[in-house]
Amino acid sequence: MFDVDKVRADFPILKRKIHGHDLVYLDSGATSQKPESVIKAMDDYYRNTNANIHRGVYELSVESTRLVDEARKKVADFIGARTEEVIFTRNASESLNLVMYSWGRDNIKKEDAVLISKLEHHSNLVPWQELCRETGAELRIIDVDGEGKLVMRTQELKNSRTQDEVLTENGLKVRLGGFEGLIADGKVKLFAVTGASNVLGTIPDLAGMLTAIKRKAQNATVVVDASQMVPHMKVDVKTLGADFIAFSGHKMLGPTGTGVLWGKKEVLSKMRPFLFGGDMIGEVIITGATWADLPSRFEAGTPDIAGIIGLGAAVDYLEGLGMDNVRHHEKDLMVYALKKMVELQDEELVTVYGPKDVEERGGALAFNVIGVHPHDAAQILDNFGIAVRSGQHCAAPLVTGFGVPAMVRATFYVYNTKKEIDYLVDKIREIPKIFT
Amino acid sequence: MSDYKDIIIDHYKNPRNFGEMDRADISMDESNASCGDMIQIQVKTETRTDGVRLPHPDGIGVRNDEGGDLVIKEMKWRGVGCAISTAAASMLSEKIVGMNREDLEKFGEAGIVEMLGGEVNVGRMKCATLAYRGLLKIFNNE
Repeated sequence: MFDVDKVRADFPILKRKIHGHDLVYLDSGATSQKPESVIKAMDDYYRNTNANIHRGVYELSVESTRLVDEARKKVADFIGARTEEVIFTRNASESLNLVMYSWGRDNIKKEDAVLISKLEHHSNLVPWQELCRETGAELRIIDVDGEGKLVMRTQELKNSRTQDEVLTENGLKVRLGGFEGLIADGKVKLFAVTGASNVLGTIPDLAGMLTAIKRKAQNATVVVDASQMVPHMKVDVKTLGADFIAFSGHKMLGPTGTGVLWGKKEVLSKMRPFLFGGDMIGEVIITGATWADLPSRFEAGTPDIAGIIGLGAAVDYLEGLGMDNVRHHEKDLMVYALKKMVELQDEELVTVYGPKDVEERGGALAFNVIGVHPHDAAQILDNFGIAVRSGQHCAAPLVTGFGVPAMVRATFYVYNTKKEIDYLVDKIREIPKIFT
Repeated sequence: MSDYKDIIIDHYKNPRNFGEMDRADISMDESNASCGDMIQIQVKTETRTDGVRLPHPDGIGVRNDEGGDLVIKEMKWRGVGCAISTAAASMLSEKIVGMNREDLEKFGEAGIVEMLGGEVNVGRMKCATLAYRGLLKIFNNE
């Protein structure tokens, strides 16, 4: 059974005091804390094994290479992939850029459309804006409704718009509307969508959308930004229906500097390298080079070896907890937190954003304290030891679409408790008092 | 609550020089992209000939024909922001009257921190300096 007290004991940082209070860390959506086992795996590597991989025949190098291979196997098993389909990057942003530069530039043409959603983090928005600007392709964006859920038909939008909104600016053509209308002409060649919103927590109906898109545009390639998905729920690439998924290691208890791109072998093998240099080549002569096999072809230069080993340890830790238990724990917290926040909303103290049904949302809770700027709210909470984020959460078009300049966001993970949510709610009540 | 001193709360709740002026000499917008705050600043300037100071090395912000000094006479501002950025804009709008470019540059981030009571959380420096950055642009575009 999932024992949150036991989990908490594994995270050394949770013993810290912040401004004299116990740390209440509610920003795992930005980066998660790290358990002792992850820290130790990296420490052990530097103390006992440190050597570059794929280089030496000496014992340390052989051991380092083996540790990285094992970590890759752990990540692959964790998401149901083949090991050669797992490419280590620095973070999800780099993974998505890899797809854009390598696959996108060779495959997206002027007559094509790239489909994304308004929920996207900037890392799954800006690369596609740039690709469409370069190629002349149309960028299509699935709009969101008042709860932050993706709109299937344009007519369902709250302002009763019956037509898609079309903008042409800065050499980029953007069409904003409902999913069904945007895929109807079969021009969508790439669908890049989040598996769970980092701001509102929205979990879109991926399965439904992917079935629909394969019907309208058989050859459409699908990229899922799984940054807020892989750390929080069981993901199996065999059944997901995507061609690529991108996620960050540091949001799933692993170290910073680690990210993953998973791609279908058939797709990856046809792609040109993104970064050139050491470790990604087959044969090099003075006039050129051939490329290494997967996954090395996409991993130029010395990788974050210690980080990758740490990520492997993080996967072990999550496997030990069981991803179904993780999801269950977070859902439990979200049901509790939503109920409390809606009470505050009824008292006209806060505005809560995002889907009301917990089945349709992950562990992100965005809100504003009425009459208080989110930065002020977040800083006052920090004075009580509570770490929440304030701002636009790397999703400016989404946040401003709700008519506010910014939001406060609390995100939950394996180590958070209902007691912490009580404390948060209690301290939110203190915020308006400072300004009256 | 070290960052929310009474003076900040006072300026936040009763911002000075908030609004628009009829005939501004210079207008400028400034924003903090990551947090969505924005400010519009308008100023009236005048050339001061009494107590003439040395011209600025770039020659900007100074009208040399009379050997006078271009100084800020009045500032009005509008914007959306948090308590820190609002209070800083309000306080600055009083503080900078009579300053020329050189005075303003010299004031610096240290001046902002001191003005806000001597302590600003590093993460809030962008909020604290929003209006100040806008003001610097005014002289740079002169």
